[in-house]
Amino acid sequence: MSELKENLKAQIIEQLNLEDLTPSDIKNEAPLFGDEGLGLDSIDALEFIVLLDVNYGIKISDPSDAREIFHSIDSLASFIESQK
Amino acid sequence: MKLIAHSYLNRKAAFLNGVKVAHADSEQPNDFLKTYYRELTIDYPKFHKMDALSKSAFISDYLLEPFYADLVDLENKLQLVFANNDSSKQTDLKYIESYEINNNPSPSLFVYTLPNILTGEISIKHKWYGENCFFIQPAFDAQFFADQAMFSFLRGNDYCLCGWVEMNGSENEECFLFLLEKSADTFEIEQLTTLLKSYRNE
Amino acid sequence: MKCYLKYGALISPLGTTIEDHAHALLSNNSGIKQVEGSGFNNENWFLGKMNELSGDYDALLEKALGSLESIWDAEILKSPRTGIFVSTTKANMRLLPGDTFESTRTLIKKELHQEVDPVIISNACISGVVAVNVAADYLKAGKFDRAIIIGIDVLSDFIIYGFQSLFALGNEVCKPFDAERKGISLGEACGIILMTNEREEGVFAEYIAGASSNDANHISGPSRTGEGLVRAVTKTLERAGMDKTEIDFVSAHGTATIYNDEMEAIAFNRLGLEQTPLNSLKGYFGHTLGAAGIIELLSCMISMEKNTLIKSLGYQQCGTTQTLAIVEENREKELTTILKTASGFGGGNASLILKKVQ
Repeated sequence: MSELKENLKAQIIEQLNLEDLTPSDIKNEAPLFGDEGLGLDSIDALEFIVLLDVNYGIKISDPSDAREIFHSIDSLASFIESQK
Repeated sequence: MKLIAHSYLNRKAAFLNGVKVAHADSEQPNDFLKTYYRELTIDYPKFHKMDALSKSAFISDYLLEPFYADLVDLENKLQLVFANNDSSKQTDLKYIESYEINNNPSPSLFVYTLPNILTGEISIKHKWYGENCFFIQPAFDAQFFADQAMFSFLRGNDYCLCGWVEMNGSENEECFLFLLEKSADTFEIEQLTTLLKSYRNE
Repeated sequence: MKCYLKYGALISPLGTTIEDHAHALLSNNSGIKQVEGSGFNNENWFLGKMNELSGDYDALLEKALGSLESIWDAEILKSPRTGIFVSTTKANMRLLPGDTFESTRTLIKKELHQEVDPVIISNACISGVVAVNVAADYLKAGKFDRAIIIGIDVLSDFIIYGFQSLFALGNEVCKPFDAERKGISLGEACGIILMTNEREEGVFAEYIAGASSNDANHISGPSRTGEGLVRAVTKTLERAGMDKTEIDFVSAHGTATIYNDEMEAIAFNRLGLEQTPLNSLKGYFGHTLGAAGIIELLSCMISMEKNTLIKSLGYQQCGTTQTLAIVEENREKELTTILKTASGFGGGNASLILKKVQ
């Protein structure tokens, strides 16, 4: 699980062009979206959907379902684990 | 009208009012925009998400920032007038790659496949709600920009931030911004052409 | 200096003449249909797709230009006092990786025997309204006596896959402002408006004023407060020297996405235009991007000529948090003054006011 989380962080930084960040800047439990966390926005959420499809073969058909899944690294990792 | 300030960048260096303020790392010619961002110690995380067109306009606009402080009601009275020949071609091609080669149309690339997105980025940065227009022109045309600025002032705006911005993957990539103010002074239109020429020859 | 408008050309899935469109709009016929395998994963999206010329930008442009000879004689078309303005987001994408805008210039110069390049506006979905505002700038400044204002965009995989990746397409004929709306139907079209500084035969609307604005909020998501649209319309009214109560009808943008239509409903309420009859024409044409503003203005001109409010196709039940006076059925009304608005990617908003020539 911790390896999955580290991989996710690296993939997010790569896919979303968060070049000023390193994986260690992203806390597992911190919110990814909104002003408090990483400040990601709606387009980033759509890129997450692409990322899950490309890297984990998981398809999400309705972005509004994804809000809770994309809350944090923790929630993303649990979701990916649950799909295995 | 009168010229308040101008900035320019290409693959070699970035300038403000004719003075070199940053130069590109010749080791990494493809990263010149990132090099300027670092050299100028800009802090704007969203920069890295932009395409080259928006990045180049963003940096050129950043250079002009000291000149905005004394101007009045930019939020409403400044118009953005931008133009280029190749629109968002480089991003268009990258986005096509995302679905033809990577088999996944990329939403974040798709949103940058419109040249006027850069006017949105600049407006967001400064919280400017004024008028915007993006034109496709075969080459830089000083008379065209002067006409647009004149129209803009007739419509009630007081300032025009004009930009010729071409990020098309060629050697000639450049971004030339100039800030015009409404005034009774006679404006020497050809000075814009002369300025751009001298920047290109630097 | 005054600017008058008259019909130029209109080619869409609904027909190839203004008469075709008057008939289709007054009969509430939609040009949108389900197109098999049009999506990235072969989804069957609903598109305003033409039977002939679909996706063929150059052929569509050529055909639309060809119809101008019956309205203005060759001397006027080629005159240096006639300016050509083109609103398009992507022009001819088939020319990639070459210059996608080059054929626009060469075709126009060849067809109209013009020597000067057209002014091309590429400002996302507000391009059409902006193009009319820019053309009026040239006429008011005395740079031209007449203008030919062309709005054109065609369907392509590029555009369809892009809107699909944004989850912005609805799996149905679009239903602007409706409670059940699911998203955009894309379309393709070419429209041409003629503008002249003389009250010549065939003019029946006067361009009064226009303005644009930026949301300064997000490059693709509509503003939650409608701020940019409020500012564009407020500025337009100020420049027109008019009060909102003088507006007889609003031709809105209404793409049928949840967020766009909500944003417009908020803006029109803030503007005090919630009681003014309003429609979106996207249910007829789909969203035709750079062509939208022009073909919707031509439709407004049809509406003014016939003194008929045209039903906002696809609307049944209010689907926004604030209500609007959506036109639910065609109905006769004396239409003197209309407001046209558009909003689009890049945070842009634009609007203009037309007034019937009495």
